[in-house]
Amino acid sequence: MSPGNDAVLLTGNHAVAWGARLARPKVVPVYPITPQTPILELLTEFQAQGELEAEIITPESEHSVMAACIAASLGGVRVFTATASQGLMLMHELLHYASGARAPIVMANVNRTIASPWGFWPDQTDSVAQRDTGWIQFYVESAQEGLDTVLQAFRIAERVRLPVMINLDAFYVSHSLEPVRVPPQALADEYLPPYAPEHYLDPARGESWGNVVTQEMYWRHRRDIGGAMDAVPEVAAEADREWQRLSGRGWDLVERYRCEGADLVVLTMGSMCGTAREAVDELRDAGHAAGLLKVRLFRPLPAAELRRALAGVRDVLVLDRNFSPGAGGVLHQELRAALYGTAAAPRVHGALAGVGGVNVPPAKIAELAGRARSSEPLPEAVWAR
Amino acid sequence: MLQIVIHGRGGQGAQLAGNLLAMAFFAEGRQVQTFATYGGARRGTPVSSSIRVDDRPIRLRCDIEQADAMLVFDASLLDGRLVSMARPDALIVVNSRRTPAQLAQQAPGCRVLPVDGSAIAQRHGLGRIVNSALLGAFACAVGEPDLWTLSGTIADAAPKDRQQNVDACLAGYRLIEAQLRKAAA
Repeated sequence: MSPGNDAVLLTGNHAVAWGARLARPKVVPVYPITPQTPILELLTEFQAQGELEAEIITPESEHSVMAACIAASLGGVRVFTATASQGLMLMHELLHYASGARAPIVMANVNRTIASPWGFWPDQTDSVAQRDTGWIQFYVESAQEGLDTVLQAFRIAERVRLPVMINLDAFYVSHSLEPVRVPPQALADEYLPPYAPEHYLDPARGESWGNVVTQEMYWRHRRDIGGAMDAVPEVAAEADREWQRLSGRGWDLVERYRCEGADLVVLTMGSMCGTAREAVDELRDAGHAAGLLKVRLFRPLPAAELRRALAGVRDVLVLDRNFSPGAGGVLHQELRAALYGTAAAPRVHGALAGVGGVNVPPAKIAELAGRARSSEPLPEAVWAR
Repeated sequence: MLQIVIHGRGGQGAQLAGNLLAMAFFAEGRQVQTFATYGGARRGTPVSSSIRVDDRPIRLRCDIEQADAMLVFDASLLDGRLVSMARPDALIVVNSRRTPAQLAQQAPGCRVLPVDGSAIAQRHGLGRIVNSALLGAFACAVGEPDLWTLSGTIADAAPKDRQQNVDACLAGYRLIEAQLRKAAA
């Protein structure tokens, strides 16, 4: 297969691997885990065929993978990796280290249930549990969006010097074989120039990272990370606009689907957005003013944009394919916080829908929307299936 | 939208069959989406592959709860649970030596078409590789994709025994064709 303008059939995993190949990373440390393994398999194949000039490192665990990613990234080269579920859990300590080291690593995470009990199903608890690690987080709906987002992620990461995690749901995206357009290498190169950081570790130059700091230095460093995060919505919007100009495809940070005049808006992220589009169309056909808000950028949460998009809406139904015991649905809680204190805030209804990978068809979303319209919202999310 | 589910046992090639079917529909200019679920699946345990075919881009990202058509690699999988995942009048093609009447009790209301894919595979020197024969039979029963598109897709994808796989696909197709002709007469 060669890149070009015609669509070819690729799975979400293979589309992500193509995105990584087009970004020309120099180091790719990886460890296999279902349902992510096809990403690293294809990258390894590309490298073996001489189509990817990268050093592929296969350490003994995901913890060591992330350690290798950080070291390579601080060495001044572009770094890509991929993981899922338990692998992401094992990386947790070093996720904090990576953002603290301002290492612009890009990682794909295939959202899969966390043990125990053991499972392989789409559930976003693995990545939402990393929301405080200082990583920018995207959630994608399709294989094409996965490919495009890998390229956008490098552009954003290297601009703000923070790592980016791209999340795709197990099976519904990772293993879905569907039409994808693979952009030509020249287009990717035009969009993403070679990575040339001002600072990098090189014994010949004598810079270092990781020494002990004072309280004051630590405080300043954390504040600077906050500043970098604050810049993300603007930088990411520019990255999306530029990609749209070059490839014809833009994805927005928060996509509004049929939200014109909507009195009820479904808000979710990841693969469920696709199903929700069908539900919204059915509701509109039945005479209900319904819309969808797709949260593509989750960290930083584009709070200002969410507030703008939901102004004047009566009811919001948040669908969380994750569960934080003791708190409920993470997106539900974050949206409530973002809207708190705003004038004429919408009524926010939370549903734990699809937790553990249970099926959520359009009829279920329409049913939940109907219930939200006719009932008072609760502070907690309700279990739905 | 045409929604298809292929049921098999781990190692039988149900997932590959789903991909081949989607590739053939895609070659005809249709929009497709196919995904399989596995993880706990291993040789012998039930696995499935879902395929959606439409004329416009496919946005649904959920399981198929009411399949229009099913392809069953192993008749022992055909039970009430499986049938409940199909439309009441669904078309079900089953790899079986039994007659349509014998199988009808297992899937009341559905149109069940048996095809002895295992015998076809044996005859073509493919051993237990039944997916090319079953795909040919399925394409004939559903009326699409076109036989030549499908056999071309199989030929391109076959890692070995290309001609044998294409011939098994044709044999499966002809077997259902004869069955339908007999039923219509």
